[in-house]
Amino acid sequence: MAGHASRINTVPSAPPALVTSTRLRETVAPAAGSTPKLAMRGIVKYFGSLLANDHVDLTVVPGDIHAVVGENGAGKTTLMNILYGLIHPDEGEIVIDGQLVHIRGPRDAIAAGVGMVHQHFQLVRVMTVAENVVLGQEPGTIQLDMRRAVNDVRTLVERFGLVVEPTARIDTLPVGLQQRVEILKILYRGSNLLVFDEPTAVLTPQETDELFEILRGLVAGGKTIILITHKLNEVMAVSQQVTVLRQGRVEGVLETARTSPPEIARLMVGREVLLRVERDAPHLGEVSLELRGVQAHSDRGLPALEDVRLQVRSGEILGIAGVSGNGQLELAEVVAGLRHMTGGQVLIGGRDVTTETPAERRAHGLAYIPEDRRVDGLVLPFPVRDNLILGSQERAPFRRGWQLDNQAISQRADDLIERFDIRPPRRDALASALSGGNQQKVVVARELADQPKVLVAAEPSRGLDVGATEFIHQQLVAQRDEGLAILLISSELDEIFSLSDTIAVIYRGRILEVMPSASADRERVGLLMAGGMAEEALPTAAQIAAAAAEAARAAGAGARGESGKGGA
Amino acid sequence: MNLIGILAGVFARPDLWAGTLRFATPLTLAALGGVISERSGVVNIAMEGMMLVGAFFAVLAAAATGNVLVATLVSVACGGLIASVHGVASIQFRANQIVSGMAINLLALGLTSFLLFHFYSLSGTPPNIPALPDITLPVISTMPFVGKVIGTMNIATWLALLAVPVTWWFLFRTTLGLRIRAVGEHPRAADTLGVNVFQMRYLCVILSGLLSGLGGAYLALGVAHSFTDNMTSGAGFIALAAMIFGKWHPVGAFLACLLFGFGSSLGINLQGSGTGIPDQLISATPYILTVIALAGLVGRSTAPAADGTPYEVGE
Amino acid sequence: MSVATAPLEAPRGRILRFFAAGITPVLAVVLAIIVGGLLVLATGGNPIVAYQQMIVGAVGTPFDISETLISSIPLILAAYAVSFAFRCGLFNIGAEGQLYMGAVASTWVATTLSTWPGPPLIALAMIAAMAAGAAWAAIAGFLKARTGAHEVITTMMLSYVAIDISHWLLEAGPMTPANAYGTPESGPIPTQAYFPVILPSSILANARLNISLFITILAGVVFAWILWRTPLGYEIRAVGLNAKAAAYGGIGVASRMVIAMAIAGAFAGLAGMAPVWVQHRLYDSFSPGYGYEAIAIALVGKNSAIGIFLAGLLYGAMIHGSVAMQANANISGYLVEILQALVLFFVGAEMLTRWIIRRGGLRAVLEAAG
Repeated sequence: MAGHASRINTVPSAPPALVTSTRLRETVAPAAGSTPKLAMRGIVKYFGSLLANDHVDLTVVPGDIHAVVGENGAGKTTLMNILYGLIHPDEGEIVIDGQLVHIRGPRDAIAAGVGMVHQHFQLVRVMTVAENVVLGQEPGTIQLDMRRAVNDVRTLVERFGLVVEPTARIDTLPVGLQQRVEILKILYRGSNLLVFDEPTAVLTPQETDELFEILRGLVAGGKTIILITHKLNEVMAVSQQVTVLRQGRVEGVLETARTSPPEIARLMVGREVLLRVERDAPHLGEVSLELRGVQAHSDRGLPALEDVRLQVRSGEILGIAGVSGNGQLELAEVVAGLRHMTGGQVLIGGRDVTTETPAERRAHGLAYIPEDRRVDGLVLPFPVRDNLILGSQERAPFRRGWQLDNQAISQRADDLIERFDIRPPRRDALASALSGGNQQKVVVARELADQPKVLVAAEPSRGLDVGATEFIHQQLVAQRDEGLAILLISSELDEIFSLSDTIAVIYRGRILEVMPSASADRERVGLLMAGGMAEEALPTAAQIAAAAAEAARAAGAGARGESGKGGA
Repeated sequence: MNLIGILAGVFARPDLWAGTLRFATPLTLAALGGVISERSGVVNIAMEGMMLVGAFFAVLAAAATGNVLVATLVSVACGGLIASVHGVASIQFRANQIVSGMAINLLALGLTSFLLFHFYSLSGTPPNIPALPDITLPVISTMPFVGKVIGTMNIATWLALLAVPVTWWFLFRTTLGLRIRAVGEHPRAADTLGVNVFQMRYLCVILSGLLSGLGGAYLALGVAHSFTDNMTSGAGFIALAAMIFGKWHPVGAFLACLLFGFGSSLGINLQGSGTGIPDQLISATPYILTVIALAGLVGRSTAPAADGTPYEVGE
Repeated sequence: MSVATAPLEAPRGRILRFFAAGITPVLAVVLAIIVGGLLVLATGGNPIVAYQQMIVGAVGTPFDISETLISSIPLILAAYAVSFAFRCGLFNIGAEGQLYMGAVASTWVATTLSTWPGPPLIALAMIAAMAAGAAWAAIAGFLKARTGAHEVITTMMLSYVAIDISHWLLEAGPMTPANAYGTPESGPIPTQAYFPVILPSSILANARLNISLFITILAGVVFAWILWRTPLGYEIRAVGLNAKAAAYGGIGVASRMVIAMAIAGAFAGLAGMAPVWVQHRLYDSFSPGYGYEAIAIALVGKNSAIGIFLAGLLYGAMIHGSVAMQANANISGYLVEILQALVLFFVGAEMLTRWIIRRGGLRAVLEAAG
């Protein structure tokens, strides 16, 4: 089973201590006589006065999986967007296979053999797999030849083992399969240099392993891969070289085999970074949040939660582990009062709040950090101070008689900015002017301000860099120590393991198992997240690896280097 | 005579049904234009204005040249021209598409009234301008009831009926249609695959203008044989509602236009037929029907995902 | 990436930003005037004379000024109606119908209770106007909140219905006066219910400007006060800017939408009452399109109480001035409608306006505007 192969790939789970030795950075020069697949030289890109790429060089050896890492805002996505022609550099040049290329747009990039699998899938959800794959290079002149399109896609599916049904609509596919469609898109265009932007953000550990096998298979088939990621254990697992970016500059180029996650993290952040939060044993109190037999539907009317039974005590962090899309969103909304339940009860501090509105639940001690701060958590055109009282505007001291008490609001704002170290560019700045980390701090500050009893935190560190994540995690643990009960929902297993006292795994709207985190086995959790058992007859990692080895042997003999058949 | 009896009598009149098709003609043309435009992601509430402008210039050109074909082409072109203004503002300059659309409607209203006064001040438009011809089907027009309904229909009505399957084929069976729909749902995805988002949107907005202009030409040269202030009276908005009611699908929009055309026709036919409801209130029928349709019977219909959102290249 | 906290912006900076915010609407007006002038030229008129006549006609004499103010009042009130809804994220383009309902309701009250004493009758008529406008607008708000029905279409449709209702009432219904001939009109408003005129005829003969001017100013104050000083206004603005985040923060989005539309409709109701109280009776089709012009005014005034007031004055001046323009320069009054639409267009296509101005070389002006 997949578990076996992954054991080789995971980093030892004990938290690395602070780095005590400094390593020399090693720059790797290409072996003499071999042309790099890609050389980006001296790339400079300004966004207004922000220098996103500061004379960045990137050299990729053919047949490598080359990782590009950095915090948010480090410039890695900008660099790749330049490579793909979505934006134009202010200076610098791009050389592919030894030829200087001018990439003015995605069409040029595609013609130069570059293909990009985006972090946020660029898929038209209401169209089929085949339609998405052929878009822009459709068979047929005026009339669309769908039959040929479907056949072409099927051929690719079989050749590379990316099993997916060409006539299926995207919105019926689980996320792991949607990603395969993204890969098919670039293979359809004959790309040889494949760029993957944070591909594992939405995958289970097993799907991640399968993806890595697919990557290895693609390399065996003659492709070169660039992997953009901030997950250090993945860098260690699958890449040969790593380029580390920080604040737009290249901080180092390392050989994966000769480095370690702490060293990479240090280059990414510029200082020592705790990769795990220090945490005492919890002091548990009364049950603060309870869900009894909760049932709910998704937006599309399908069952999203079935018979959910959970308890979170005061002073406890309960982490819900699961792949996005298994009911977490609905769970959070049901607790917050934003979604109607078709059955069951929600109790806060022993009080049945099932029929209460969100405002009433907040009054009874509920706080909520939503998944998407820009869309759900903040009113971006409002100033920071107004965002800090969102939800409390009807209450004293912010309301005096019929009016708002601006002085009280300002005082609260100053207090929270101080306590949570929020840094707006100007004191009365709008929320939209803040960095992602500071925006999240505003949401966190607001929710924690009134000493709630229960906090629902959904993806609290999504999109945040290591430094901001560290801060948020510390805040959550500190509040937990003061008696707050936290329901933590995260698709990042690291975050779950790092913060939770208790772990519950959700799969297709059901809680499969609840276990104390201290004794939880990461492998087992990963398996549960995927449903416990593999349900479809997907090719296993071992089978794909075997097929890739076959292909490599065939490639050695053939001229084109593409395998005749791959996959199961 | 009770209401049911009156209604039954009215329903039996072929003119009710013929009128439905007549009212539905400009609605269909405009609604199909709206479907095309919004499928590519550009909200177009300026169809009212484009129809009005089309109507006016149809009359002007017809009076000037005496040739109905030229006049129709002129009005179609004017619709396209106005649409391209909306397009430039919305696509290139990322204006708020609803504001831009409203501005064009108001501009069309003012401009056509201004020019009407300027060219034809007190007398109104000339009486004998060439008209869009009716087409009489040889055998069918002699049949009872049905003959009176579809036996003699204006050429524009035939064009509208033809436009429905053509639009369907265009959007759902051609490569261009696939790209247009992708641009309307997920412009970024299309852009990353090399599809020119701006080009697709301009094309669709202009097409919607051409169709609306044709609708206006029909109103002026096929029905009223003249131009009066604000002669569209909300038809463009009803077409918009039909588009939504029809879930942005050519056939659905057409059926909705038939429904709303029926409402208008019913209104006309009920006037003076002894229902006891005052005429002024009966003429509100199509509008009330539209509100009810939007509110209740449709459920939530979903626009193309990127509808109304200006597209910015890069990030 | 983040900077240490800085002190609040200096007062001078805020005044500068206030003026900078006004630049785009001003530029839009300038562009509209230019394009309108070209149209006049193209149809054989003299734009300079036309505009000159318009200005003289608007503010040439004290009487003209008072008439301009009278023209502005319903525009300003209707623009508050459009703008208040817009603050909640709703496009209220049906202000026309709402103001008709307000006119009808207030007239009906005044003519039916014609024996009542003055002040309570005026008060009741005003309440009736606001209630009728509020109720009519709330229908669309309710439909949007409950069913998602797009308010652009529903308010427009309801507008037509309201106008049809008013036609019926005056032509064939209960408000038709007994001896009707010519343009349908209601019975007269009883004299004790007239709004007092501001300037007695000893100062300005035949002046019609009445206390509705003060009512309008008060409306502006109320508009700003609700939006910026009350929790309700905060919630309405939050819903308008990000309904999802507002919901997540516990705000009842549906109820706020309905309330916002109702308040907007109340403003519109007053807008309908004002012209009736100037002419002292309700005439059929009395509105030259106040509700539609209001849309442009709301946008040109950038949805702020003061901005709308100023923009409304400008539009009122254009309308009143066009009377003289028609008489003396022989340009059709429709030019004003065209100008208004152009202004709306250029304000809406803000970046287009800036692009044109940039081509015209006023880059420095734009830098200041930010």
